Parts: sequence; C-alpha cells; structure tokens
Amino acid sequence: MVRVVDVKKDYHVGKTVVNALRGVTLEVKEGEFISIAGPSGSGKTTLLNLIGCLDKATEGEIFIDDEAVAEKNKKELALLRRRKLGFVFQSFNLIPVLTAYENVSFSLSLLGLSDREIRDRTMKILEEVGLGGLERRFPAELSGGQQQRVAIARALVKEPELVLADEPTANLDSKTGKDILELMAGLNEKHEITFIFSTHDPMVMDFARRLVLLHDGRIVEEKSREA
Amino acid sequence: MKFLLALAWKNLSRHRKRTIITAIAIATGIAMYIWVDSMLLGLEKESERNLVWYETASAKIMEKDFWKNIDYLPLKNSFIPEKDLIGAVEDSGFTWTPRISFLVEMYDSEGSLPVKMIGIDPKRDESVFRLKETLSRGKYLEKGKDEVLIGKNLARDLHVDVGDVVIVKTRSRLGAFQTMDLLVTGIMDCPNPQINNGVAFIPIDVANRALRMEGRVTEMALHFPEWKSPEKKVAELQRKLSGMQGTESPGGKNLVVESWRELGKDYVAIAEGKRGATKIILFLIFIIAAVGISNTMLMALYERMGEIGMMRAMGMNDREVKLSFLLEAGGIGFIGSLIGIALGAVLSFYMVNYGIDFTGMIGDMDVGYRTSGLMRGAWDLKVFVVAFVFGIVASMLVALVPTSRALKMEITECLRSEL
Ligand SMILES: Nc1ncnc2c1ncn2[C@@H]1O[C@H](COP(=O)(O)OP(=O)(O)OP(=O)(O)O)[C@@H](O)[C@H]1O
Ligand SMILES: [Mg+2]
Repeated sequence: MVRVVDVKKDYHVGKTVVNALRGVTLEVKEGEFISIAGPSGSGKTTLLNLIGCLDKATEGEIFIDDEAVAEKNKKELALLRRRKLGFVFQSFNLIPVLTAYENVSFSLSLLGLSDREIRDRTMKILEEVGLGGLERRFPAELSGGQQQRVAIARALVKEPELVLADEPTANLDSKTGKDILELMAGLNEKHEITFIFSTHDPMVMDFARRLVLLHDGRIVEEKSREA
Repeated sequence: MKFLLALAWKNLSRHRKRTIITAIAIATGIAMYIWVDSMLLGLEKESERNLVWYETASAKIMEKDFWKNIDYLPLKNSFIPEKDLIGAVEDSGFTWTPRISFLVEMYDSEGSLPVKMIGIDPKRDESVFRLKETLSRGKYLEKGKDEVLIGKNLARDLHVDVGDVVIVKTRSRLGAFQTMDLLVTGIMDCPNPQINNGVAFIPIDVANRALRMEGRVTEMALHFPEWKSPEKKVAELQRKLSGMQGTESPGGKNLVVESWRELGKDYVAIAEGKRGATKIILFLIFIIAAVGISNTMLMALYERMGEIGMMRAMGMNDREVKLSFLLEAGGIGFIGSLIGIALGAVLSFYMVNYGIDFTGMIGDMDVGYRTSGLMRGAWDLKVFVVAFVFGIVASMLVALVPTSRALKMEITECLRSEL
C-alpha cells in the first residue's frame, strides 16, 4: 500500500541544512496499524507529511498503491489526498466556522456524493466516534478530546485507504488519549483502514501492532507484535 | 461548487464580527469616495451655473475686435442691434439683453480702483441674468437715473455704502475723458466672486449718453433655454450672422457668437486644471479606500493560513481553495459596497440639499471657482455604479493575494503557520 524507498529530506534554514530524514525505507501493508515513534526532532512529522503528499522528498521515492508520488502534479496529488488519504493532526485543525457535523460532511462534499449519502454517512461516523448528539456544536464548544474525535471522524468518513495521524493524542490527557487510541484501533479492525500514527508516548506505542523507531532521521528499530 | 458557496456563506454569516468590521471598512471607503466626488462635482456644476447666471449668460454676440481685445473692452468696437440681427436671435428662440461693458476708474475719498462697469437694461436684463436676486441691500437700478449697483467686496474696498456717491472716470467711445457722479443705490452679494469683487452696474441709457454710444452696445447677451451644451446653437447662430450683409452698422459679418465656455475661459481653464487635481484627490481617496479594504481583508486571511492548509490537506485543489476565498471576499465586498453606496447616497443627499458652509474658513478667497463659501454637492449616479463594482472587485482581488501566496507555500508550511 505504501512504500518508502531510501527517502531523504533536507530543510534549509538560512545557510544551514537540516537533514530531517537521512534515508528511510519502509513498507506498510494494507490494514496495518503502525506506530512511528522516536524522540522529538527525530523526523516523525516529516515522514508522515511526505507519505501524506503534503511535502516533497529531497531524495528517494514514495509509492502509494504502486504509483510514484513524485510523478504526480499538484492537482493529481490533491485528488489522491481527497480520495485515499485521511489526516489527523495534533492540533485538530478543524474549520472553526463549521459545526462538528459540517466539518465531517465537508470531506464528503468534496467527493461529490449525494446529499442523502453525505447525511447518512456523517451521522453514522459521528455516532461511531461517540459524538452522537453533539453534531451541531462548533469546535470552540467542544472539549479537546471531542474535537479530536471530530477530526478522526472527518478523516474516516470518506473511508480512505490510509489514515495518517501525527501525535493524535499529544494534546489530550492520558485517559482521553487512550479512548481515542482504542477508537482508532477499533476502526482499523472494523473498516480495514490502514493507520500510521506517530508518537513519543510509550503508552501509545503499546497500542501499535507494529512499531517503527526513528532516531535522527533514520529507522533504528522495528518491532512487530501479534495481536 | 455548491458546497464552496455554502462554505463562503457560512464563513460570512458565522464570522459575523469579522464580516461586519471588514464590510464597514469597505463601506467607509466607498461612502467617502462618493461623498468627495459629489462635492467636487457640485463645485464644478455650481461654478458653471454662477458663471452663466451672473457673468457670461449662455452666449454673447460681440464685434470680432471687441472679443479679440476683451481685456480692454474697447468701446469703439461696438455695434447697433439691428432689426435683422434681433430677428435672427429671436427666431432661434433665444431671449437677449443689450449690454455696454467698459473699464472705469472708481474713486472714493482715499483713492481709486479699476472697475469693470456694465450698462444694463434693468428690465430686459432679468430675462437673461439673475443679478436682481443678488441684491443684498438698497434697491435695483432704474432707467435714466445716475445710479450704480456694486458688489459687496468692492463696496468694502471703496468704503462706500448705499446712499454714497462715487466718482467714475472713463473715456467715451470717441476717446474723450468723461466723469460721472453715481449714487450707490444697491449692494450685491453674488455667489460669483468675480461680480462681488470688481464689477459695477449702471442703467444702459446712462452709459449710452455718457459714452456717446448712439445706440451702440458692446454685446448682446443671449439666454438659451438649455445652456449645458451651447456649442451647436452657437455654431448655428454664427452661420446665420455670417450670412447677413451689413446694412447701416458694420453688419453681421463682423460679429461673433461666443458660448459661455469660451467667455468663461479663465474659469474653464482653471476647472480643467482642477479636474486634474480633482482626479488626484479622488485617486488618493481611492487608495485610502483600497488600503482600508485590503488591510482588513489581508489580516482576516493571513490568520487563516492554517485553514487553507487543512483544506488543501483534505484534497481541495488550488482552484477550489481560491474560489472559496474569492466567493467569501466577493460576499463581503457586496455587503460593504451596498452599505457604502447607501451611506454615500445619504451624504450626497445632504450635500445636494443642504451643503456645507465654508464661508468662515475660506472667506472671500477667490480660488478661480465661481462659487461662494457654501459648498453644495451634486448627484453622480455613474460613481455609485463604479464604486459598487469597485468594492466587490477590489475585495476579491485583495483576497487573491494571500490566497495565492498560501497556495504557493508547501501545505506543511500553511499548517504550521497556524498560531
Ligand atoms: N519546516 C522546517 N524547517 C526547518 N527545519 C525543520 C522543519 N520541519 C522540521 N524541521 C527539522 O527537521 C527535524 C525533524 O523534525 P520533525 O518535525 O519531523 O520531528 P518530530 O519527530 O516530528 O518531532 P516532534 O516529536 O517534536 O514533533 C528537526 O530537527 C526539525 O528541527
Ligand atoms: Mg512532530
């Protein structure tokens, strides 16, 4: 599903060059629930952004469904994100003028579905993430955990092939974080959606069935664990 | 497309405070633009009216050489309004009045001033000019009496008032010196500063006698029912006059017809120059409006980089992101423009019907415009349409700047710029 081949990423800050990724190779199969862990600054966000086609690699190649991302133009990448990818960010990034319902249904509107289908799917996913009854609230009227649930619902409602979650629990207390992780794990099993999430929280790592440890822009360890 | 419209609408209606503040900025700029435009147009229109009503009439018939030497008002270049001439004017449907314009030196106890003196037919003059309405003290001229009507600033400069006698020295048509003792019968307060500052009026028969005119006049002042665009009528009349052969007087061949635009050339020239200045003023206002609009819009939009990042991450392409922000900006522009032209209409209405009195500020300063201190506005419907469209288009253009910038950035940068 996702293949990352010897990817490097440099950031230029003034005259200095930061080697955020120094050659990462990774294959993620369909339906995996994989955690990318590592200390701060190890390149987790960078890697997720590259897989999510939000940024371009300096070297190396990334394939999604065996298609090279580097060969696609801006518009094709937008279409790919729209159809196949879902994002969950640490800071939720909900659109403030839209209600919980509207934030979620928005990603379906982009797909041009019928009003009825949009409604049914949105209500169903909101129920599933435990936000039944809160669909008319605005982001500012929801707690952090509830906002992150909206973000997850928004990422999942279009039934993407891959969900990329960058420290989805970092802004939440541990109890809420655990709930969110359980929710994600449940959805992963039920919908067979591939999940890649990053974290530096050991509790979060325990949830992963496969753990990739990054350090200084390189993969230093991989662990798999049978469920 | 439908959901983009819906998104724009939600942004407008739910960010009510932001929408209102931005719309007010736009409205203020637009209203200000309309207001200043109304004032400047009013100034120009009133100037023209005061020129025509008190100074030039719609047009004048003169001897060619009199017009050529208009600064000296040479009495020898005068003519008798013959029957065929009068016929030609009246057949064209114009009313007219005879005038004798000449230069005099006017004396008071302390000294003298050069004054332009005009002999008028007290009755006929009213059908062409509106001098009588400007009488502020005393009474109007009467036929045959050695009386003079003078403007209030001239009266002040000469230290004379109603009931005083002024001595006037000039040369007759034949060149002999001539003095007249004239009783100041009335003081005029005319909206045309030129009249107030240096013009005096006497009955035409008095002038005729004193200057040995023998029925000659220096000009026939014409009144057109519609004076705004006199060029065609003037040309027609000129053609008629040129066709006329002279009988007793030098004849139509030597006569010219000049419209108020020609007669008021000094004003028109100034007005033309001022039109340049007017454009600059309007341009500055325009810039202020544009900066106000862009400032608020840009601020609102730069705050939303993160939102743009998220929209892009969700798979909206550049066109869709741009369109959604353009729709929103257009909406704000529409609301702001609507409020702006409503406000502009209120201001214009006030300026047209009441005006602002600047008398205290500018006093009797002669700035070339033929207006008094009361500044009136004029309706300029074209500017309403222009301002309305501008408000919408400018808002959209302004929105395009930060949106395009955000779209040039990597999505990750957009997402990170959310504070
Ligand atoms: N836009 C950028 N410009 C310059 N340097 C960057 C940029 N983004 C990341 N970096 C650098 O790249 C390296 C990897 O950053 P990255 O954000 O991927 O780390 P991370 O593992 O996600 O860290 P954290 O756990 O703190 O989120 C860091 O050294 C960081 O300073
Ligand atoms: Mg990170």
